[in-house]
Amino acid sequence: MRHFSEVYALMRRKNKQQYALLAGCCFFSVLLITAYVCMMRAPTILNVLPEGGDSRKQIMMIFALAVLGCAVFTTYASGLFFRQKSRETGVFLALGASRSQVRRELYRELGVISLGSCAAGAALGGPLAWVLWQVFRLCVVDTEEMRLVFNPAAYVWSLAFSAFVIVMMFLLGSRSVKRTNIIDIVQESHTSEPIREVPRWYGPVGIGLLALGGFLGYMSSFFFIGILHWYPPEGLTGVFYIPALMGLYMILLHTVVNGWNGKKKLYKDLIATSQMRFQGRQTVRNMLVMTLLIAGAYFGSFYTPMLGTGSMIEYDTRPVDYVYNFRADQDIPLEEEVRALAEEYGVTVTDFAAVPMIRLAVDGDNHIEEEGPMGTTWRAEYEEVMSTELFLSASGYEALTGERVDLAPGELRGVVDVEGSKLGFAPDKSLVTNYLTGEQIPVTSLEPLRYDSLFGRYVMNDADFAALGAGLSEEWRETQVCFNVENCEETYDFAKALFNEIVDRSTMDVAQFSGWDPVIRDRYLAEEGVYFLDRENCAEYGFTVIDYAQRDSSAFRMSWQYMPAFRILDRTDFVKTMAVFLILFVFVAVVCFSAVFVIAYTRCMTIALTNRKVYDDLRHLGASNAYLRRSVRGQVKRVFLVPALAGTSLIYAFYVMIMYFNGSPAGITPSEAAGLLADLAVVAAVSALIYGVYRLTLARVCQALGLERSGRLPGGSALPE
Amino acid sequence: MLTVENLRKSYQVGKTSYEVLKGVSLQVDKGEFVAVMGPSGSGKTTLLNCISCYIPADSGSIRLGKTELARLNGDALAEVRNKQLGFVFQDFLLLDGLTVRQNILLPAIIGGIVSDMTEQRADQLCEVFGIAAIRDKYPAEISGGEKQRTAVARALINHPLLILADEPTGNLDSKSTRAVIRSFEQAKSALEATIFMVTHDSYAASFCDRVVILRDGVVWRTLEKGNTEREAFQDELLDAIREMGRSDN
Repeated sequence: MRHFSEVYALMRRKNKQQYALLAGCCFFSVLLITAYVCMMRAPTILNVLPEGGDSRKQIMMIFALAVLGCAVFTTYASGLFFRQKSRETGVFLALGASRSQVRRELYRELGVISLGSCAAGAALGGPLAWVLWQVFRLCVVDTEEMRLVFNPAAYVWSLAFSAFVIVMMFLLGSRSVKRTNIIDIVQESHTSEPIREVPRWYGPVGIGLLALGGFLGYMSSFFFIGILHWYPPEGLTGVFYIPALMGLYMILLHTVVNGWNGKKKLYKDLIATSQMRFQGRQTVRNMLVMTLLIAGAYFGSFYTPMLGTGSMIEYDTRPVDYVYNFRADQDIPLEEEVRALAEEYGVTVTDFAAVPMIRLAVDGDNHIEEEGPMGTTWRAEYEEVMSTELFLSASGYEALTGERVDLAPGELRGVVDVEGSKLGFAPDKSLVTNYLTGEQIPVTSLEPLRYDSLFGRYVMNDADFAALGAGLSEEWRETQVCFNVENCEETYDFAKALFNEIVDRSTMDVAQFSGWDPVIRDRYLAEEGVYFLDRENCAEYGFTVIDYAQRDSSAFRMSWQYMPAFRILDRTDFVKTMAVFLILFVFVAVVCFSAVFVIAYTRCMTIALTNRKVYDDLRHLGASNAYLRRSVRGQVKRVFLVPALAGTSLIYAFYVMIMYFNGSPAGITPSEAAGLLADLAVVAAVSALIYGVYRLTLARVCQALGLERSGRLPGGSALPE
Repeated sequence: MLTVENLRKSYQVGKTSYEVLKGVSLQVDKGEFVAVMGPSGSGKTTLLNCISCYIPADSGSIRLGKTELARLNGDALAEVRNKQLGFVFQDFLLLDGLTVRQNILLPAIIGGIVSDMTEQRADQLCEVFGIAAIRDKYPAEISGGEKQRTAVARALINHPLLILADEPTGNLDSKSTRAVIRSFEQAKSALEATIFMVTHDSYAASFCDRVVILRDGVVWRTLEKGNTEREAFQDELLDAIREMGRSDN
């Protein structure tokens, strides 16, 4: 051995665990980010997640959390690596190596580690995402829509993150060599990282800030848009979540430094508590990242049970088995044909009702956006002819529902769902207009009716209905059909056949996106010359183009204006229709929880590495293996338990808050309550998994410290000579 | 060989400045074995760290031969540390991943001057310090005394002008202490090494030609061994320390 690089190679061999840990952390982070971004940017996903929609925002938000988590995690792993390496760097410098000499060797090593691990992570990230996706397809559900196509541009994100990892490692490496005082470097690995005294009020104040930040963050956009009539710039509302982040940090700091037991268990937990304090800020930072990742993972995990439970309840509580409507100019099966088709499939139709509906213009506030020095603001301008709605006569409503409604001339009742939720629907109107003839009737809106299957319709007096319907062409007239069947559960084939028949016989005139409105269209054409929901413009403006050939896709079924609501069809096809959504969120949860487990495991193994000497000293002082095991358990438990508890309760409370405020009026509906219960079941299952990983990690840490139950002393650790 | 003149060094703690060295002057001649003693806080380690160029002095001069160390830049200082100085630390600072022989060769490897002759010298040093039998062992496999003798051999591998030793016997039992001190004596007699040692240990200091006693950042007294027997010189040292303690009270 005659060259400095050979010394480095020897040291590398000696410390291969540290190198493996660093390389593994970088590899894992880049792998995770690449897999996530490959999935997130895949056309398969983007086609399903509407542009600017909540789902895409949620996926982006969790991605931001994952990036933050991985960035902090790799920075921590690098810091740990250089801290452990500082002793040998110090010895080299003390013995006369120049900084440039040490830096040259270090850069060479870092180059290999960072480039190698990042390249491997980036290369395997795509295949990992693909394999996971295929496993889901194989084991859960497989549809044509789920054929995974990757966008190579996704790798730009992966490259950007890899660049961050590489630059960060070189910067930290350079900094560690640049330290001017060799004495500090030589002694660095022996110095503790104390955290300042933390007042006990940090705990309760942290909880307060967390709650306040969560509330302010969520409500700020309502405040800006609803009260100030101002669209805040992207990211501004995020600022309001900062108190929540500060609160979380304070809670974790308080938990690590003071604990929540007061002085009751001071001596019982002395070793574990003081060891955790010794690890200081790094522990808290790691816990913060884990908490955020757990929260993000749960946020993803909750989506599926929430949606599933809500949808299943909605399907079950529908008052009618089969509901559809169609425009009068369409040749869609009516009673005779429906009964004939039903007979073909051995289905008995009961309670068939088909009643006329008319499309009338209604008044309302038009939100006019204006650009100003403060950005985009809006003002409401009342329009007598704002948009259109579908109207039933009182007798028609009775024919469909069996519920008699007495309405005087000029009285109007909107229809909301049975839980009274008005989300996305404003049943209070004061003026109704026949758009073709200009005939107008001022109306008084009464308490809304509640009937799930006719949500969003309006009911008016028969005479008003006749008067306002006069002169309307077929495009403005529709038929509402409702019927039940015997043994609904066994009528899937019939439902599918009827659905296909309806789609096959619908012309391209009604291949419209669900929000398409002829009055709004005219206004847009007059003012801007183009209407974004016209079929030819949908793609350009990010809306689904209705394609009858894609009738089984989630995009079609969620977006077609004349999509029938057949209980058995919707329930049976639910998983298929929502497959991409469901699997994407499950994928996100799997990725985030994996990151949490790797971070927690690494952190705990670090405890074993850095505290070996302490445990040897304690053993010399007469501590039994049982005592030492209890102390290790105290630390490992905190690494797992605190973020798990904080992350779970944080996101669950946040979810409850979202559910409470997202309805109109505010409150938890029975289906939301059921969804929240289903989420609790997810929490229980994931908590069991976290507990399993915790036990496994604890066993590995005890093994590394030679604290197995048999009481065997460690093979490699320093024992009394 | 080594000339220190009016060396001053202070540390800033918060808004308060603590002057640790308040104008230390001393000289070490070629082939001399000099110890620096003094109570905790007297500035011994700070003096050694300034001479080693690990920390910069506020003012004053440190000359090694004809080289003024304060004027050197980073690379030149590294060169001085590597070629002209040898270091022995209280914690040994051996690299666990290298064998005893590889540790001894390390300064030569860093300096890029390993030849067959260097390797022969490493073996020769192993012989001189009685560690030939363990030269292929790793630090974890040898005793504290053997580690420190390895560190002394490492300090000598590049024929330095001066060996700087910081509490070299601080972590050793009496048997190992004797062995390390013997190795310094051998280095001095057989290899004509010049040694500057900071120590608390009057027994270790009693082997030196001269002992400089620091107190409150200045040289309080210098004791020459001359022809005095070691035991008598140790008594002289202990008397001086007792006298210093009395004058403190």
